[in-house]
Amino acid sequence: MGIASDLLAKPGVIAVGEYAYRGDRFSYRGALTEEYARMASIMCRATTMGANMEGAMFEALRSGSGLHPPRGWVVHGPAHTVCVIANTFCLLDNTRASINDIVKFMYKALANVTPDMI
Amino acid sequence: MTKLDELMKLPGAMAAFEFRGSGELLEQRIAYPDRIDESILDLLAHMCAANMSIATMQARGWEKVTTMTGFYPVQEFTLIGFDWSVVVSGLHREQYKQAGKFSLPPFMGVVMANEKADYEAAFAILEQQEPVP
Repeated sequence: MGIASDLLAKPGVIAVGEYAYRGDRFSYRGALTEEYARMASIMCRATTMGANMEGAMFEALRSGSGLHPPRGWVVHGPAHTVCVIANTFCLLDNTRASINDIVKFMYKALANVTPDMI
Repeated sequence: MTKLDELMKLPGAMAAFEFRGSGELLEQRIAYPDRIDESILDLLAHMCAANMSIATMQARGWEKVTTMTGFYPVQEFTLIGFDWSVVVSGLHREQYKQAGKFSLPPFMGVVMANEKADYEAAFAILEQQEPVP
């Protein structure tokens, strides 16, 4: 999980995790318990798989529409945000984190992660 | 100026739209019809409705299980595609719920080119409070 240290050094980053596209392996760093990190990994993998299914459906409807393959997703709550790019998730404190900076950093840093294993 | 028109002024805005909680497209603005048309937006609106529901369920469950708060209600769901992103919100529906209204306004969303996308600016427009009639 090469980008974890870089992400954790950014303001407002609470935890960073990585999950396998297949199977239940995960790793994490930051302020989460092992059990909560496992649960976060499962939820993030499920949503990522759903987003990829949706991208494939979009591609079937209109090839080259620009959605497929999806790069990630963000859930923005009142105090916390979950950012996911490829198979890496990041939990943010909204009062301190810049979502634009985090998404753009992850987008660039994880640009070479292929979705082949999905 | 309507909120849809305001969303279309965001950097890289390609489309803005309103949709029901069940996914039906209600109204839209489209900047590049050769890339995103009504048919694409209709499917996108259904996807976004589903994703908002799943994210809301996960946020609710996460808060109950972990006792960590600040995830619910989901304010926006963003899907980052290969070339563009879509940001959707139903936050203003919360105002109506709190006012005891049973008829809720539609969800709103914006499609932005990834290279210019300003997610926080999109959130700010989508989170603007409006008076409940």
